[in-house]
Amino acid sequence: MNVALPHTDSTIINYTLAVVALPLLAALINFCLPVKSKVAGWVSSAAIVMGCVLSAIVFSKVWNQQPLHTQTLWFTIGQTKVYAGTLLNNISVLMLLLVSLIALPVHIYSTAYMKHDDRYGRYFTYLSFFCFSMLALVVIDSLVLFYAFWELVGFSSYLLIGFWFTRDKAVQANKKAFIMNRIGDIGLLSAIIIIFAQFHTFDIATLFADGGLVFKSIIKDGLWISEANQMPVIWQYVACAGIFMAVAAKSAQFPLHTWLPDAMEGPTSVSALIHAATMVAAGVFLLGRVYPFFTDAELTILAIIGCFTAFMAASIALTQNDLKKVLAYSTISQLGYMTLAMGVGAYGSSLFHLVTHAFFKCLLFLVAGVVIHEMQHIKEENNLDIDPQNIQLMGGLRKKLPLTFIAAIVGSLALIGIPLTSGYLSKDGILIQAFEWSDGRSAWLKLVPVGALLTSWLTAFYVSRLIAKVFFGEFRLLKHHPQLKMHIGDGGWQYRVPLILLAVCSLFPLFSLNPFFYENAWLFKSLKPANFLARENIYHSIIPIGVNILSVFVMYFAYAIYTEKRIFQFPQTGFLYRLSYNQWYLDKFYKHAVIKPVLGLGKFCFWFDRNIIDGIIHLLDNITRKIAALTAWTDKYIVDGFLHAVAALVQSIGNFARKFQNGKVQYYLYSMLLIVLILFVLKILI
Amino acid sequence: MITLTDFLLVGAVLFSTGIYMIVSKRNSIQVLIGIELMLNAAILNLVAFGRFDKLKNSGQVFALFAIVLAAATTAVALAIILNVYRRYKTIDPDEIKNLRD
Repeated sequence: MNVALPHTDSTIINYTLAVVALPLLAALINFCLPVKSKVAGWVSSAAIVMGCVLSAIVFSKVWNQQPLHTQTLWFTIGQTKVYAGTLLNNISVLMLLLVSLIALPVHIYSTAYMKHDDRYGRYFTYLSFFCFSMLALVVIDSLVLFYAFWELVGFSSYLLIGFWFTRDKAVQANKKAFIMNRIGDIGLLSAIIIIFAQFHTFDIATLFADGGLVFKSIIKDGLWISEANQMPVIWQYVACAGIFMAVAAKSAQFPLHTWLPDAMEGPTSVSALIHAATMVAAGVFLLGRVYPFFTDAELTILAIIGCFTAFMAASIALTQNDLKKVLAYSTISQLGYMTLAMGVGAYGSSLFHLVTHAFFKCLLFLVAGVVIHEMQHIKEENNLDIDPQNIQLMGGLRKKLPLTFIAAIVGSLALIGIPLTSGYLSKDGILIQAFEWSDGRSAWLKLVPVGALLTSWLTAFYVSRLIAKVFFGEFRLLKHHPQLKMHIGDGGWQYRVPLILLAVCSLFPLFSLNPFFYENAWLFKSLKPANFLARENIYHSIIPIGVNILSVFVMYFAYAIYTEKRIFQFPQTGFLYRLSYNQWYLDKFYKHAVIKPVLGLGKFCFWFDRNIIDGIIHLLDNITRKIAALTAWTDKYIVDGFLHAVAALVQSIGNFARKFQNGKVQYYLYSMLLIVLILFVLKILI
Repeated sequence: MITLTDFLLVGAVLFSTGIYMIVSKRNSIQVLIGIELMLNAAILNLVAFGRFDKLKNSGQVFALFAIVLAAATTAVALAIILNVYRRYKTIDPDEIKNLRD
């Protein structure tokens, strides 16, 4: 299309393509290296470092400028021309930079974390492949290619979750993640098909830009009318539901969220990159891309589901004892916030939260990685049979792992949303806008911001519980095993540097010079020139204050309970506890409602195949056999029998004639006489 | 009075005796004797029927020829028997089966 690009533009496009292609190149090189090769880590890291630099350049050139859109003709079917290319606007360059920035510390961290793994090289192959898919996903401009990379992201995630495929749980987990994602993929595919049927194009820029085709389409009298076509409005709903399914599967929203906690079976560094910061953000990114497509009512549904997901996941995180599971549920909860923000129209805040969350959640996961690594170390050194991820066995680690402890505190405060951190800026923005949104609506929709508010206190509680159990108090494992040998520490620079880097990124200065007002964050300003920038109503003051004062109380409360003070112990038998501990029984529900019927259907099909289909075939088989046996019998006894009879006759005649030829002279004479006699007798008789 | 019938009867008896000897004896010499008996039966018949050709006596003449021929064949047959004996060390016709194919 744009044949005569300005020079700078074509440079930017080349840089973007390089950012996308470098990890793929690294994956290909690593694929050719031996499985154990230690070079692989440096190949992948080098690709990401270069990608990081280039994407920073691209970001600085494109941010807040005109979107840069190039495409070439990909293929033609009949009259339809399908184009493919890159679309660089604020949201895609932001994601491009974010993914490379998060991937960088994770790669460095992984070189140390996976050092002793037998399939070190393969790990980096997968990791680079994932980065390629994700980076391509954010810059691509065609829905068809978007779908392809969407699938590839799911696929590489599948590979990485099941990286330790000798563990049964990991295999179950990656299967579950893959199937859940497939359900979402079906939704996305059907949405793409409907959109193409309606607008006759796959081009994201043409479809969803300001004043694009989707803007011009209207819904009137039960018809969905665009310039090119019109169809019943039901199809618009179906397409929306399809997109929502895709979002729910990738970004772990209710009811398709159950794969994410299980996905924690993968290496922790993978969880940090994929299941906390980038891949799960793909769903929110998709929402951002197709945002104009949603009508007001659909956005409301989105907000309700986001709110419910956030609340449910936070309530589950309260009682989990697995370090990574708590973090996984907090991820689901935060993703719920992002969906909620999209639903209430806080487009900018949602993406802002996506970015800040990526940093602090990645940081928390890397911290978890260090802790698990050291617990594993203790386990192996002392030959214990413990679960290295169980927070009930930890405690007092702040003295052993000082740097990790500081990083964890920074990450946790950001997750709770305490001022001076990035999480405060983005999360309070969402809360405020949620309240503003609910103002002009029916009363029960007030539940959405209230639920979000409640969730933020729950977050404060479970995060404090986690930190208190892991880092404060006494080391509980020492009580059970007093002779424990402990040689643990923060680890080498590959651990320290990523933690420091991410911890710095989780603080406010990166996003806003004013640590208290989210409206001043540069990221937020550029994403959506929102019309409520002015601090016009009371929410802007009261919510941050209210939330944070209560959060601090909740944090202190949790700290007091879970360190040695033990002023109060929660009952562990109540209905609410069991509901939370069993993850709202959703897994069990799916097991009974979905898996069992599916297995039953499978068994029925097997039975049907075995008994009916095979039965018919066996019957035919038997009939054929019988006919064959009959033919064989006929052949043997009738046809062959006739021939044998002829042969026997001839033989007996021969034998009879042979009797006369026995070489005895006198016998010949006998015969002669006999024949003469017979001739005479005959002559007389006739 | 001796009639033609008597001659023919004697001839028939001789012939039958000859045949019997040929098919039943286990000595080639005896078989040869049987053959001679049959020849003589034939010669007897020639002579007996020669009575009806009194002018030319062709029956008698034929008989003379037949006797001479019989002597010749007997000589040949004895020579064969001798050779057979040399080869097989027996003259039992049952033992000599080389005529068989």
